[in-house]
Amino acid sequence: MLKIKNLKASLEDEDKQILKGIDLEIGAGEVHAIMGPNGSGKSTLSYVLSGKGGYVVDEGSATLDGADLLDMAPEERAAAGLFLAFQYPVEIPGVGNMTFLRTAVNSQRKARGEDELNAAEFLKLVRIEAKSLKIDAEMLKRPVNVGFSGGEKKRNEILQMAMLAPKMCILDETDSGLDVDAMKLVAEGVNAMRNGKRSFLIITHYQRLLDHIKPDVVHIMANGRIIKSGGPELALEVENNGYADLLNEVA
Amino acid sequence: MEALEDVVKEGVDAETVEAVKGVAGKYKYGFATDIETEYAPLGLNEDIVRLISSKNDEPEWLLEWRLDAYRRWLKLDEPDWAMVNYPKIDFQNIYYYAQPVSMKEKPKSLDEVDPKLLETYAKLGIPLREQALLAGVEMPEGERKVAVDAVFDSVSVGTTFKEELGRAGVIFCSFSEAVKDHPELVRKYLGTVVPSTDNYYATLNSAVFSDGSFVFIPEGVKCPMELSTYFRINAENTGQFERTLIIAEKGAQVSYLEGCTAPQRDTNQLHAAVVEIILLEDADVKYSTVQNWYPGDENGVGGIYNFVTKRADCRGDRSKIMWTQVETGSAITWKYPSCILRGDDSQGEFYSIAIANNYQQADTGTKMIHLGKRTKSRIVSKGISAGHAQNTYRGLVTMHPKATGSRNYTQCDSLLIGNKCGAHTVPYIEVKNNSSRVEHEATTSKVDDDQLFYCLQRGVGEEEAIALIVNGFVKEVLQSLPMEFAMEAQKLVAISLEGSVG
Amino acid sequence: MALAANKVEATEALIAAYPAPEGEGKWSRDARARALETLRQSGAPVRRDEYWKFTNPARLLEPVKSATIMETDEAPVFDGVDKLLVVFVDGVLRADLSDDLTMEGVEIETLATAMSKDIHWVGDVYGVLEANGQKPVPRPFAALNTAVATEGLVIRVTGKATKPIAFRYLRSGLDADVMVHTVIKLEKGADLTLLENGSGAARFNSSLEVEIADGAAFHHVRTQGRDHARLAATHIFARLGKESRFKSFTLTVNGALTRNEAVLEFTGDDAFATISGASAGDGAYHHDDTVFVTHNALNCESRQVFKKVLRNGATGVFQGKILVYAHAQKTDGYQIAQGLMLDEDCTFLAKPELEIYADDVICSHGSTCGAVDEAAIFYLTSRGVPKAVAQDMLVLAFMDQAIEEIEDEALAEEIRTRLGDWMERHRG
Repeated sequence: MLKIKNLKASLEDEDKQILKGIDLEIGAGEVHAIMGPNGSGKSTLSYVLSGKGGYVVDEGSATLDGADLLDMAPEERAAAGLFLAFQYPVEIPGVGNMTFLRTAVNSQRKARGEDELNAAEFLKLVRIEAKSLKIDAEMLKRPVNVGFSGGEKKRNEILQMAMLAPKMCILDETDSGLDVDAMKLVAEGVNAMRNGKRSFLIITHYQRLLDHIKPDVVHIMANGRIIKSGGPELALEVENNGYADLLNEVA
Repeated sequence: MEALEDVVKEGVDAETVEAVKGVAGKYKYGFATDIETEYAPLGLNEDIVRLISSKNDEPEWLLEWRLDAYRRWLKLDEPDWAMVNYPKIDFQNIYYYAQPVSMKEKPKSLDEVDPKLLETYAKLGIPLREQALLAGVEMPEGERKVAVDAVFDSVSVGTTFKEELGRAGVIFCSFSEAVKDHPELVRKYLGTVVPSTDNYYATLNSAVFSDGSFVFIPEGVKCPMELSTYFRINAENTGQFERTLIIAEKGAQVSYLEGCTAPQRDTNQLHAAVVEIILLEDADVKYSTVQNWYPGDENGVGGIYNFVTKRADCRGDRSKIMWTQVETGSAITWKYPSCILRGDDSQGEFYSIAIANNYQQADTGTKMIHLGKRTKSRIVSKGISAGHAQNTYRGLVTMHPKATGSRNYTQCDSLLIGNKCGAHTVPYIEVKNNSSRVEHEATTSKVDDDQLFYCLQRGVGEEEAIALIVNGFVKEVLQSLPMEFAMEAQKLVAISLEGSVG
Repeated sequence: MALAANKVEATEALIAAYPAPEGEGKWSRDARARALETLRQSGAPVRRDEYWKFTNPARLLEPVKSATIMETDEAPVFDGVDKLLVVFVDGVLRADLSDDLTMEGVEIETLATAMSKDIHWVGDVYGVLEANGQKPVPRPFAALNTAVATEGLVIRVTGKATKPIAFRYLRSGLDADVMVHTVIKLEKGADLTLLENGSGAARFNSSLEVEIADGAAFHHVRTQGRDHARLAATHIFARLGKESRFKSFTLTVNGALTRNEAVLEFTGDDAFATISGASAGDGAYHHDDTVFVTHNALNCESRQVFKKVLRNGATGVFQGKILVYAHAQKTDGYQIAQGLMLDEDCTFLAKPELEIYADDVICSHGSTCGAVDEAAIFYLTSRGVPKAVAQDMLVLAFMDQAIEEIEDEALAEEIRTRLGDWMERHRG
């Protein structure tokens, strides 16, 4: 599904390389987790894959089902099936959550040559998904993320993910700022979307989210590189011993 | 405004309470020094300009520069756009030069200075000895030093720590000495930031300035101590026209402080100064002012007319200027310390507290002229009006087409105490490229009733309570001042508001 | 102060350019004489005048130039709204194209009819609110309008109008130079909505004086559009009585030069006013909102909300002022002006001013200017929304804060639709 080869990327404004050669392959239906200390480049990886401005790819490639992601505009990547759940979802005053969601869903359908959903079909879908994430009608009416609590923002991200039904989901520190109950709700939302075909890349600083969303593979990232990969036990090792041992081991 | 508890908790604010309690007189710098003074003939003409120039043994080019300015000034009209009202100034009824007779022969060192002058500065809390002393706060020897240039009426009395600064390559002296000792630097930079044609008062100053301070920080030097100039008007019916020139070469750093006071008199006196600052690449200059000229009495009689032009030119890339001003004095304040952000990535900041009480009128603010790419500016202005005072913030932020990727943030708050005063805000915003971002916010309100009640309920008197709340209101600006200055300013805030209640 | 000789000359040339109305009744002769005197005192404006610092008045003074009429198959704005339609062609009221000027609770007369009489109630309003609005800053084009305008309506509202009155300004001549003056007097508890649309003329000078008595409400929704080369100088003067309400919104798209002045004064306590505008311009477009709100009564609330979308060299101007007198305690004044620049070489000029003499007030203003928020664009595009659509969504969201000031939701929707269409046509 997602193939990343020797990906190197820098900040556009400063001459500073953040990603220093990432190699990663995620097969269909797999759940991978990336863990690592602050500043290791985890979020940068998610931004470079989804096409945020301000970064320059110096070397390497990233493909989704063989299509070159790095060559596409952000909206083309989305239409190709890539979804990023943001660590800090942006507040957009004046743009209604529903209007936005419908525009997004239909833009993607249109780009893929599918029929657009009419208002009734769309509403029906939203209601089902919103209910399972405990998102009430009032939240749907408000402008995108404006006045949402941290937990509401994250649930709203998962709602968008459910509505857009992507192939490849990247979750960037979705657990940050959530209490245990909110995290469970989000994890349930994610687990409900696992169907054997859809793939996930879960970026997190802590092990706790991985208690709820079981990864197939865990990668440890440090200083712009993946320094170690392994099974779920690797996450527990980090939880118990911290990153220091691992970093020393590699160094 | 932050929670009152936070304001009250901080020890530094307890000082305010003490300060408010401790104030006996309304204006504690209102004494006059009885000293024999020599005046130039009353009024202004070319001969006066020549006289001032000859007093300082100036070269011919500088006299010509003054005369040019004078001739131009004659053709100018006094500006009337500021929100200040005052009787027309009779420029022929002012002395343009006054010096203590004892200063006729310039003292070779501070030891030779007239004891009466030294006594005056001691009384003002300004140390003219080379000890670490400021504002009566004694510091352990060697821990912190502030060099002082003391300007008394039209002349500089003396400058401390010259040798020590000289060893670091820093030149700090009176303007008249700089003209003699460093004519090439003066000639190269004088009038390049505030041209003699700039505005009515700057042009007048260019013709008749008598002295002032000169600072030169060479490339790569961080000035080893804070520099300061203390301006004192003493002679009656005399205008003070000083000129300050600060040059910070590549990578140079300096923090400069300025203070001013004058005796309590029932006539108005004119002060028209010019400050020019030149910053080359990576230079960093902080310029702090506590302006405490005599503000006039509670009926609006007397006080200084303060018409000042201050401007910094960030010529070099990444240079940084920060203006901080605490304007509590003067009957009229007309002052807009400005930043020309010419170098790419240069930065300008302006922090201001302006307090107008009784019949004071203040029209003050800043200009941020963004010319270079990715330039940044920040304006924080806190105006307080009480009594019958009028207080205006007037500012300009302009983003030129080539100043791409630049930013400005302006926060401009006014507080009214009583309904006989006025608070006004006149910002100009001009944006001519789309990659820059400008944000301007302003509010006007009164002292918060809940906060006031909270204080009263805790047994704090109303006047003290207001001083406390006002100190909370201006805190962001106070924090940008050097520490001793901040404490002094904080007391001043309280003192300036005396009699504002009831 | 005496005017400079060249200013006197320009002023006399301006007055001479318009024929002096003849054969009118006493009150109108008096009103016109007063206005001429005002105009002669202030003089025709020049760029050096502080009030014209951001907008060069020269083109409003020169002999009028032709402005091409834009062909369109779009239906006129407010077409679907039930209304009393009044059509002006080249500034002249056309009874044949208009509805009957009768409605329950409303008396409507043409200005010319009212002017022909020696005594008329409108004499207490016509040119009176305008004259009040000449201090502290002169408004020469409004004085000129009072002095020479002969077209317009005189409307007295005694009850709640059953439907809006809608002015539609059509053009036939390429170089029509038009002056329209309307007076509306709302009696106690009356309620009226006025709609205006159409580009009016090559040069359009309008003056609207609205006297709002205690407890009355006035709603105003206006669109100015479409022809690129047209010029406009419009004025609204409103005086608000106790517990009255005033709401005015203007949408401007296109036009080489538009200066919309609004002068509001609260004279009765507990009143509310909002003046708002959304404007969008492309290319040689200069749009100026100049607002002056005077709080002269207790506990009134005023809002100024202006949004300007600029592309391709367009210029947006806002000059707004809130003046609060010492006795106008409990005033709540709010002012916001924002520019959104879609291209590099646009200009946004603002002077949001506060002059406050009362202490128990809450007044605030804000102004921001910048490009479209890149983080928001990325967020939207990362969800699959094409960039151009994402930008339009953000632009409409930006404008919506001004449109939300319109009370009637159907009218607000009408405006949103218009804007959406404009964006579609001008997509970058």
